[in-house]
Amino acid sequence: MIAVLRSELYRSLTVRSSWVSLTGFALVAALTGWFSEDFWSLFAGLGAFGLAVMLTAQHYQHRTAVLVFLGQPHRLRALAAQCVVAIVLGLLLAAVSGIPIVLMGSAAQYSSTLTVVPLIAVFGVANATIVRRPLWLLAGYLGWVLFVEGLFGRLQEPLPFTSFLFASAGRTEFVLALLAWTAAALPPAAWCIRRDLTSA
Amino acid sequence: MIDIRELTKVYGGVDAVRDVTFTAVPGRVTGLLGLNGSGKSTTLRILLGLSRATRGAALVNGRRYRELKHPLREVGAVLEQGLSHPGQTGHAHLVTQALLSGASRRRVNDLLAYVGLAADAHKRTGDYSLGMRQRLAVATALLGEPSVLVLDEPANGLDPSGMAWLRGLLREHAAAGGTVLISSHLLGELELMVDDVVIIAGGRVRVAAPLAQLSGAARLRVRGGDHRLLSEAYGRYGATVTADGGVLLVSGLTPEQAGDIALYVQVPVYELVAEMQHLEDIFLNVAEAQ
Repeated sequence: MIAVLRSELYRSLTVRSSWVSLTGFALVAALTGWFSEDFWSLFAGLGAFGLAVMLTAQHYQHRTAVLVFLGQPHRLRALAAQCVVAIVLGLLLAAVSGIPIVLMGSAAQYSSTLTVVPLIAVFGVANATIVRRPLWLLAGYLGWVLFVEGLFGRLQEPLPFTSFLFASAGRTEFVLALLAWTAAALPPAAWCIRRDLTSA
Repeated sequence: MIDIRELTKVYGGVDAVRDVTFTAVPGRVTGLLGLNGSGKSTTLRILLGLSRATRGAALVNGRRYRELKHPLREVGAVLEQGLSHPGQTGHAHLVTQALLSGASRRRVNDLLAYVGLAADAHKRTGDYSLGMRQRLAVATALLGEPSVLVLDEPANGLDPSGMAWLRGLLREHAAAGGTVLISSHLLGELELMVDDVVIIAGGRVRVAAPLAQLSGAARLRVRGGDHRLLSEAYGRYGATVTADGGVLLVSGLTPEQAGDIALYVQVPVYELVAEMQHLEDIFLNVAEAQ
């Protein structure tokens, strides 16, 4: 498991698109943080989710999942390692991009956001393991956030991204809701990662 | 050693492979041949734990792939014409795999030089040619210094010198006691490197035998001083003889026997050639028989 973890971290940091995304998400989150701490939380969370989706789904897109599973045939361990990598990079993104809001005196929001970033990162990994196609997933969730959570839920219902937003503001019931979403996504991911890897 | 026992894989009610049984032993190169869709890749994927068998077993050194403690140190695999992230450099790709297999950074650099990619190590693999990706895939397979190599179409994209290099590498690996299982549709190339042949068609093994045994059951082409006398003499020893223009085609005798008989009946022999069956002929005969 440690070998997969080290390997995945190294891979993530040596693929140009990964660190460009990491830097890009961090910059957007940091810039929006100047306007509002909630904006920073939202973009830090979306960044952690997007990064987790990209890192995981790229393995299926470029077939490198084959190499990972050859090295770690116990796929649940590979999934666990991918979750840890997504958590580490998600926390890095949030921790660095949130420095401006700490300087502006919003340390509480900073720490509560950092507490829930791991949940949204794991949620991203689980989703990408199920769907395996990053563009479909990201486009689908964009529509979901706009129409389902925004238009119909009015960003008040305990849906995944709304939950993240309120959980990052310290609302415990939304932390539990996000925890429930993440926990619900993991069993199908655990089942999906065991699917056969057929030829390209 | 690779041991495939009554392996069956069913996809949606259709048998991709059925009761496939063969072994690939240390010290020899085993060629797995079959038309597209014959079940070669399915067999290799099950062997490597990438697909699950419906029935039967595929064992490496007596264990299923997922039961191997350090799989990359026991098995090296080349699949799908060189797998790598196109945004990663060749060097970074190998370091990633080295971290996974427990190989050292020094081994990475040695292998990059060994496969001839040292000068291109810091290029992104997306900019590599197919041949370069295959060389990188071979380096990836060799990282853990495994005793077993499994290669699916490794010669695709390699130029003639690359093929000669691969042939030498695999022969060297087998000579050192390693096990090599290779699938390829380049039969002429495969013929130069395999010791044993497994032909799979329609998801079933049709032939599994040493290449020497398959190609050795060939006929002799004999041109002598008196064809009538030679035909009668060979016939008396149980051979089947047909005339083809100015030569006799003799089945059922070894070259030594044919020469000795000619000497015995005092007929000069001007030409005696054992017409070996090429792998392509063997394969096509089996494929056409289906």
